[in-house]
Amino acid sequence: MIFNSLNFFVFLPVVFLGYWLLFKNKRKSQNIFILIASYFFYGIWDWRFLFLIMASTIVDFIVGQRIYDSDQQKHKKKWLWISILFNISLLGFFKYYNFFIDSWVDFTSILGYQIGSSWTLQIILPVGISFYTFQTMSYSLDIYYKRLVPTKDFIAFSAFVSFFPQLVAGPIERASNLLSQITNTRKFDYTQCTDGMKLIVWGLFKKVVIADAIAPIVDDVFANYMDYPASTLLLGICLFSFQVYSDFSGYSDIAIGTAKLFGIELMSNFKFPNFSRNVAEYWQRWHVSLSTWFRHYVYIPLGGSRVSTMKSIRNISIIFLVSGFWHGANWTFIVWGAIHALFYIPVFLMGRNRIYMNTVVAQNSWLPSIKEVLQIMLTFSLVTFSRIFFRSESITDAFNFIKQLCTNFRFEMYEHPLGYRMIDYFILLGLFTIYEFIIRKDERSPFKFKSKYIRFLMYTIVILAMLLFYDDRIDRSFIYFQF
Amino acid sequence: MKQGIKKIIVKSALYFFILLIVLELVVRVLHLAKDTPSRFLDEHNVEKWIPNQQGYSVTGNRRQNFSEYRINTFGFNSYREFTPTKEKIEVALVGDSFIQGFHQDYYNSIGKKIEHMIPSIEVYEYGYAGYDFADQLHLIHAYKEDFDLIDHVVLGIKFSNDLTRGDYKVMTERLALESPINKLLRKSKLLVYCKSIGILDSPQLLVHQILNIAKPSKVSKSLNEEEIRKEKEKKIQKYIENFESLIGQYGYDMNRNILLLDAKATDPVFMNYLKKNNYKYIDYATYFSTSKKPTTLLYDRHWNDHGRTLIAIAISEYLEVHKN
Repeated sequence: MIFNSLNFFVFLPVVFLGYWLLFKNKRKSQNIFILIASYFFYGIWDWRFLFLIMASTIVDFIVGQRIYDSDQQKHKKKWLWISILFNISLLGFFKYYNFFIDSWVDFTSILGYQIGSSWTLQIILPVGISFYTFQTMSYSLDIYYKRLVPTKDFIAFSAFVSFFPQLVAGPIERASNLLSQITNTRKFDYTQCTDGMKLIVWGLFKKVVIADAIAPIVDDVFANYMDYPASTLLLGICLFSFQVYSDFSGYSDIAIGTAKLFGIELMSNFKFPNFSRNVAEYWQRWHVSLSTWFRHYVYIPLGGSRVSTMKSIRNISIIFLVSGFWHGANWTFIVWGAIHALFYIPVFLMGRNRIYMNTVVAQNSWLPSIKEVLQIMLTFSLVTFSRIFFRSESITDAFNFIKQLCTNFRFEMYEHPLGYRMIDYFILLGLFTIYEFIIRKDERSPFKFKSKYIRFLMYTIVILAMLLFYDDRIDRSFIYFQF
Repeated sequence: MKQGIKKIIVKSALYFFILLIVLELVVRVLHLAKDTPSRFLDEHNVEKWIPNQQGYSVTGNRRQNFSEYRINTFGFNSYREFTPTKEKIEVALVGDSFIQGFHQDYYNSIGKKIEHMIPSIEVYEYGYAGYDFADQLHLIHAYKEDFDLIDHVVLGIKFSNDLTRGDYKVMTERLALESPINKLLRKSKLLVYCKSIGILDSPQLLVHQILNIAKPSKVSKSLNEEEIRKEKEKKIQKYIENFESLIGQYGYDMNRNILLLDAKATDPVFMNYLKKNNYKYIDYATYFSTSKKPTTLLYDRHWNDHGRTLIAIAISEYLEVHKN
């Protein structure tokens, strides 16, 4: 079941009313109910993969307890490795098995050996596996690092692993935030509920109006890049930047908003990354839950930045390469990660990686300064360039795309593959960027206007835009579901 | 807590209601939804539009195609009134939505274009969305006196869907659109708009699935190539039989009537049948295939202005060549 489907908007009110009216103030009953609803939500897609979630839940529930109960460090470590190996094996098999086999075949062919790739299997990638395995691992890791006491409530833990708003595409929550809320009694909060509904509407707008509307253009440009001049390719990658941002942040907004309806606060996943002033700030604002995960569980254990400069560079490189690999079983993602490492390292060496941590662009003014505009444009250009690898089918495609971009330099008017007026999209993206700039200080309140009339006007515009840009011919699945 | 939930439900419902009203207003002001003329069944059992209606047809969710229609006193979309006489040279265009032309301004129709090309003739457009060959022959037969005064009758047919029946019967499904409930629903422009952009398809499908939840699903049988070929042959044969059956019932003036078709989209068996039996036809396939510009609308499969010009050229050239 996907958030932008009608089924979800039948499912959600039923679960919401059942949760608050049938089981009010009964924490255990609410947790059982939310667990059943979550399994139903996931099982509608493919019930067989529910067993994977259950297995991951059981393993980490037991491992967490064992780590906590063990007196000796080596035993704690042993149990931790069981959790890591189990979850990585799940990921390795379902997500990376064919990649490793194919890469091995390619590698041996380079050495002159021809091996048939008869070992590759027809494996379906279970939706959300990269997200929930990381979430369960974080539970065991937090207990190992003594940041968390394991829960004895198996139902609550299961609900934590499979909580449907964030099950398939995050935000990847840490137990210290989400599990602690699930194990405590939730109280109905009117303001929290309305805030949640507003976020759902805003997330849907980003998905339906921005991401889905420009998807056919991006698909067309990347599928036929050899036929297009540089001007069109440039348009294609810029639009892909908007598409991937709106798609994923739209999903996150709906997830956070939905969780609010059940009295749960999820962490923010996107904080207007398009207004970042350098690549380091970009990573503080883009897919925050994943960056936080890697920082806590990979970067800091490796020594973080409290080691020699060379080791810090090594740690940064590892983080970005692993992050790239997490996104998908393709060399394109690894190169994408490597490019980001190359962009990040100079910022780190100049000591500018933390300077924008607590501020937003135009912090105390209406408009950004010229310097900020140039910084934003440079960061956006770098990030957008890296996305050529993120979006291309293969490394060869990515390089050919870049070659075409650099050699076929001419301007040509681009016509929308479905026949729409292109000017509509430029106006749309312009207005969207201006609106995001206006609300840039609070990513959780997209309609934060004092006047209720202005708020209502905004709701009307947003809903009208959904009608104006809706097209039932467009594939409406979320990009990050493939990860 | 109950109070809070009640407040949420009441406020959401209120917001939703006000939003619907505001959106209805916006859709009306921006004219995003199409106007739909009313239809009726006349005394000859011919389905037509109620005479003397005017409005605008809209295609696409952002008004990508916007055109004006005008239903004349006879019940068809045309800038002309139909007054055939022996003295004038008249051409009738009979066909479906392509001839009806709600996707074009009524004063820029195929008929008008032909009249520009051959100023001495008058063109009467008897186009009606959904008309197949049975509807067309029934119309000509029902208004025989009028059609006998017309010099050339061009019948637009598509082999793939205009010969599916061998008898004329009133299409009750189309007339059901004039039921009181449908008329009432059409009054909401927001609803008409939502329906036209396909946003109501999923709710309709869901309701349909819920209503048919107990019914066993039909098992579709997959056919092999030989079976597919046989099925196709059977279908072609059936269509030709339907063609013969309709002509047998209503008669067919071989001198006056001309079929308008796309030979590339018509089965060769039927094309050979027409040639063998000396049926006159205008083939617009070559006009379309040699065109460098697109011939259909971007948001809709109907002919665009250029496509309609090509059709007008094809008909005018045929008429000029076959003057006598």
